[in-house]
Amino acid sequence: MARTAKTYQVNITNLGQVITCAANETILHAAIVAGIDYPYACASGNCGSCISQLEAGRVTMLPRGDAAISPAQVKARQTLACRARPQGDVAITWLGRGRR
Amino acid sequence: MAASIAEQRARACRTLLTQVHATTAKEGITPSALHAIKLKLVALAAKTDLFPPGDFAMPLAQGRTHPLLVEDDDGHGLYLTINLPGKEAAPHDHGIWCVNAAISGRERHVFYRRTDDGTRPGSATVAKVGEVMVEPGNGMAMADHDIHSTEVVGQAPAIGLALYGYALTRFPSVAWFHPEFSAMRASPSRRQLAT
Repeated sequence: MARTAKTYQVNITNLGQVITCAANETILHAAIVAGIDYPYACASGNCGSCISQLEAGRVTMLPRGDAAISPAQVKARQTLACRARPQGDVAITWLGRGRR
Repeated sequence: MAASIAEQRARACRTLLTQVHATTAKEGITPSALHAIKLKLVALAAKTDLFPPGDFAMPLAQGRTHPLLVEDDDGHGLYLTINLPGKEAAPHDHGIWCVNAAISGRERHVFYRRTDDGTRPGSATVAKVGEVMVEPGNGMAMADHDIHSTEVVGQAPAIGLALYGYALTRFPSVAWFHPEFSAMRASPSRRQLAT
């Protein structure tokens, strides 16, 4: 029997909205499915449109292009929502369209 | 004194672009011209001695582009690209023609056509129309506004040559397509970002 992926709570702080995101799902994907107008373009780690600040929690990142996010940004706890999978409950703020 | 590898590479790149301009001056950016350019790029990529791995830093993450020869103004841009296993790009139209050829590794390019009428902002549907594996001895060519996705296949980095009608810094807006959501989003033109 297939095992269902673990799920976590992701707080999109721009909206104060909490969504559910599977451990094997990106935060951007979960946000779109939830009907959130999260800023994005490539959704594949190339353009940086979904650049976000990780306010709390940890994520793992799928492969992405160097130009999309710098090591300094990663060190400053920025991430790409399209590449970020939650490792636990997370709070995140999108930066690409400015903070709301 | 024998020319260094870097000098030989620079000369080979200049020769390629001279040939490209001769081809396009004669017949424009036609399918046959792009095919001819692809064959020349594949031939250059086969000269692996000109592209030793030590001359090109690996990506800090999973994808990196090294300029080889970038022409001024709205000229062409020739790059060496390194993408690591798992690196991908969703279906996109970067608005300008491009030709790719592999030095090593494998990258799958899937081609699409748009199936909606383009009248709903932010919405689009696409259908797969073909697929090419860019691997040593092979390449791909696409015209302005063709749509493709890319994915590195296997466990080795995909290292290749990419020639674009415009330099990357002069790229028009890129349209990204997301079939799962019937969505289309645009990333801004790098021309606008540069001004």
